[in-house]
Amino acid sequence: MNEPVTRFGSARTIGRGMRVAPALSHGLGLTFGFAFLGTGARLVIPILIQQSIDHGLQPNQVRVSFIAMLGVIGACCVVVSSVSLRVATKRLGTRAEEGLFSLRIKLFDHIHRLSLADHNEEKRGALVSRVTSDIETLTMFFSWGGLSLLLDGSQMVAVASVMLAYDWRLALVAFAVSAPLVLVLRLVQAKLVSAHNISRERNAQLLGVFSEMVSGAETLRAYGAVDVVVDSVAKDVRRRGDSNIRAGVIGAFLFPSGEVFAVFTVMAVVGAGLLIGPAGGLTAGALVGFVFLTYRFLEPIAEFTEVIDQVQSAVASLRRVLGVLDTPIGPAQPVSPTLLPKGALSIDFVDVSFAYGSRLDDVDDDTPVLNSINLHVPGGQHIALVGPSGSGKTTLARLIARLADPTLGNVLLGGVGLTRVENADLRRRLIVVPQEPFLFADTIAYNLRFASPDATDAVLRDAFSDLELDDWLETLPYGIDTHVGQRGGSLSAGERQLVALVRAAVVRPDVLILDEATSSVDASTEVRISRALRKLALGRTTVSIAHRLSTAARAERVILLENGRIVEDGSHDQLIAKNGRYARQYQTWVSSTQSTI
Amino acid sequence: MTVPANVTESLVVEETPVQSRLRTGIGLVRDLLKFHPRLFAIAVAGASLYAVCTVASSFGVAFLVDSVILPTFEAGQIDTSVYMTGAAIVIGIGLLRAFGVVVRRSFAGINNWRTVESLTMLLVRQIMTQPSVWHKRRMTGDLVARVGVDSDAAAEVLGPLPFSTSVVLLVFLTGGWLIVVDIPLGLIAISVIPILLLLNVGYQRRIDKHYDTAQHELGALSSAVHESFDGVMVVKAFGAEDRETRRLSLISTRLKDARVRAVSARSTFEALLDGVPSLVNILLLVVGAMRVESRSMTVGELTSFIYLFTLLIFPLRIIGYVLSSVPHSASGYKRVREILDEPTVFDPSLLIAHAPDGVGVALEDVSFSFNDESPVVLDSVSFRIPAGKTVVVVGATGSGKSTLLAVMAGLLQPSQGRVELAGKHASIVFQEPFLFSGSIEYNICLGRELSDEMIAEALYLSASDSFVSELANGTKTMIGERGISLSGGQRQRISLARAIAQGADVLLLDDTTSALDTVTEAVVVDRLRGMSRKVTTVVVASRPSTIALADDVLFIEGGKLTDHGPHSALMLGNENYRNLMQSFEHDRDEGDS
Repeated sequence: MNEPVTRFGSARTIGRGMRVAPALSHGLGLTFGFAFLGTGARLVIPILIQQSIDHGLQPNQVRVSFIAMLGVIGACCVVVSSVSLRVATKRLGTRAEEGLFSLRIKLFDHIHRLSLADHNEEKRGALVSRVTSDIETLTMFFSWGGLSLLLDGSQMVAVASVMLAYDWRLALVAFAVSAPLVLVLRLVQAKLVSAHNISRERNAQLLGVFSEMVSGAETLRAYGAVDVVVDSVAKDVRRRGDSNIRAGVIGAFLFPSGEVFAVFTVMAVVGAGLLIGPAGGLTAGALVGFVFLTYRFLEPIAEFTEVIDQVQSAVASLRRVLGVLDTPIGPAQPVSPTLLPKGALSIDFVDVSFAYGSRLDDVDDDTPVLNSINLHVPGGQHIALVGPSGSGKTTLARLIARLADPTLGNVLLGGVGLTRVENADLRRRLIVVPQEPFLFADTIAYNLRFASPDATDAVLRDAFSDLELDDWLETLPYGIDTHVGQRGGSLSAGERQLVALVRAAVVRPDVLILDEATSSVDASTEVRISRALRKLALGRTTVSIAHRLSTAARAERVILLENGRIVEDGSHDQLIAKNGRYARQYQTWVSSTQSTI
Repeated sequence: MTVPANVTESLVVEETPVQSRLRTGIGLVRDLLKFHPRLFAIAVAGASLYAVCTVASSFGVAFLVDSVILPTFEAGQIDTSVYMTGAAIVIGIGLLRAFGVVVRRSFAGINNWRTVESLTMLLVRQIMTQPSVWHKRRMTGDLVARVGVDSDAAAEVLGPLPFSTSVVLLVFLTGGWLIVVDIPLGLIAISVIPILLLLNVGYQRRIDKHYDTAQHELGALSSAVHESFDGVMVVKAFGAEDRETRRLSLISTRLKDARVRAVSARSTFEALLDGVPSLVNILLLVVGAMRVESRSMTVGELTSFIYLFTLLIFPLRIIGYVLSSVPHSASGYKRVREILDEPTVFDPSLLIAHAPDGVGVALEDVSFSFNDESPVVLDSVSFRIPAGKTVVVVGATGSGKSTLLAVMAGLLQPSQGRVELAGKHASIVFQEPFLFSGSIEYNICLGRELSDEMIAEALYLSASDSFVSELANGTKTMIGERGISLSGGQRQRISLARAIAQGADVLLLDDTTSALDTVTEAVVVDRLRGMSRKVTTVVVASRPSTIALADDVLFIEGGKLTDHGPHSALMLGNENYRNLMQSFEHDRDEGDS
């Protein structure tokens, strides 16, 4: 619903698009010039007819050689004009492809640099379609609608100038009689555009309906709700069809409007021509030629009416694309970065508060997730963050990794404010292992090299042995060249965790942030995971987001968060001895896992 | 609504030669026209009117030149009645022609969208008739694309079809008329028809290759973008933004290059389409002048001849685009037929028998494997649960618990054995509940009429009452895309409420309560046990505290039912069970949803 949309008029949107992708407008004037020459072929015939009737096709004397000479000249014009047309079409198409290519890359890069708040599940589909379907809509526009506009526009201009050159009086009559067409077009166009908008909306909505119906098919069948849902889908399908038909019928009336005006204009031109007559310096050939020119002049209208919708959707797509490009990118990069000190890094929070609130949204959701946090973690310490969901554990960890910047206060790593650290430097030193690690649909080696592109196979295998995972590696059919499938789907959840741990180890970071998985994992993998985790955390500043209190019990220090505040801080034993909230939670947990009553 | 019975099996999309494309097109069109032939006939009538009027309009031009313009210029005197006749002819024909266009386009559109509708609903009904075994084999995205995109694409060819028929008519009428007017000139004029058709053929052949490549690269681009944004956390965590941009840039470059090659081929084609008819036109003028000289035709006839020729060119130019929509439609239609022609898979829930009185669930010697080669997932499991009892299925990961529930729910067909249920039907709640975007009430009722008391009871039993009553609009609160998002535990409880509200005598919960905290889970199990109706409940769970609340435990090891009895008894007597409980104890989440 909250589409990132820049609210500008169409003209400004197009202007901004041209500036964002300069290749689009580069040399456009010259392209227009070629297009103008290119429509010449369509003018050669009326001119030849006029010349022939006036000078070669006298009723009692036909000058064939003169007409043949005209024909040769005309043929040359046609050839030149066709070549120009080819140049214009190719230039426009190529420039458009290049411009949209750079726009697509720019957009993709920009989206990756947006903050995580702009990257949640709900918005992902929208972001993907910005890069894919919106850019495709623009491509389609340039290669069809845009091309028609260019050629038809120049045809109208060229024909109008020839008409004026022939006989300005007849030209004015033609323009005057066809002028009301502009009004008709404007009136109906608005209807057509809104009809198209409605059908586009319903098309999109219907896809959502289908998707929900298919995903929920098992549930619908299990609960005998199929017929009810199919009936309601049938209604939606009918409505979608109706709105498309409506747009089609409006278009059907608009399409021949140029032709209707053309017959009236032709008759007006002929009438005026007869009145002017030879006495007024008009020749029969010129009048006949004019009849042809009038048809030519109004010919592009039909195509214009076809293109209106394409223009609208292209502008809408461009607007959405620009809206994303206008969203400021995530944590800003320092101008003169400070290098992180060598060795284990300490972590400090100084009066840190944080509230999510995506800049893509209209509404600000600024309920604070963290409230004036102060915390010092010495280099090499292993801490566990515990607390109910929504207490701020994950957010706290994200701030350390600078996946977001605090709303207030400072986060320091090794004594250096994170805003002063360069991204590349930070990523070499600090690694996050998320709860549900994402794997790319490629080999294990590819996924490991994602962390360290230059690592040799030997280095990758060493990382496995460092974490005592050689035995697991041996169970894989192709070792590190085993394909993991879409999102790592060929591996179990636990095995995906293992790959993510090795991926972290390859970087040899100084700070490790571990978001513990909640999914159940079979026992042997569980053992491997905890062994690998212990190895990985050794000698590193480690922050674990603990969902199991057994993990917390193993950490050097436990920090209990509630409602965005640190409520208890100390070693597991100290907190148990203190007999506070942590101790109570631990007690509940222990009893809940107690097997005998 | 009739379903096209004789489906063309030869819908081969890969071949590009025009002949095969035509054959494919004819088969496709024959199938599609069976849906709404009358709408199509009206559109064709409009198109024919257009074609006839187009030819007739050339007489108007001839009349204007020969009877209005030239005599007036010679005589120097205007004959008003002749002018009025000319105006009536030209304007009358013009309006009729426009009317033909309006009828043709409107009804072509109506036919197109009504056919889409027919295809779509056939698909929807077929898909919803297939049992979940069939759905498990299918990708959701693929099915949605077939219903939502391919059915549109399939009917796409119907839009320009009436126009094509008018082009054929026009070509014959004009070609014939041009020859009637003047044979040598007519022959020159109609020579343009094969030239333009050949141009079209050659162009389509060249361009198809580039478009195919582009389409392929677009698919690759789309999945790369999807994957990259899906993995945005990893990309950011490893500072790989630049590398990802480079990766995408490589794919985009290939896409762009294919498109630029297509643009290049197209620009040549467009230029030839514009130039060649003009050159023929000039030839017509020169030869025509000779014919006028030899007094074989008048100047007016020559002018109208040339006018008619220009009218013929336009439809000939775009007939290629019409033909080019055939492969797209054919592949869409093929994907639609694949679903429609698939036989309905047997619904395993039909095999479930009535359990005798007093029995909730009974399994006799039930085995299951996914196919003949794959290992046995369930190995002759037999048990009997008295009606109204609550039983927990316990086992290590991969021991077959979920499969056991799916067999009981009639979602999977056992390879042998017999399942009996009280009331023949069980309500299953899946591990990952599916909620529809709509109100909470809609999600509980799913189209059935339920009293407020029934809804309230279901909410109470599923322990959803407290959080639902805190929502501003209570059960009317919208959830999903256009509403609030619920936490995992809340979603599970709503789906549990839905199952309870269905009123089945057997309730199957597949790890349904895993996202709940321990206290809530206990409340749910407790309330379910206290239900006034005699509902037999089978639960997959792994929290010892929850397991202890059940009346009985079914212990599954490697697909076999190895023990059966109260939790305390198994703790005492079964060492494997005790070990499993201990491992659960060690690493279970503290749970807080």
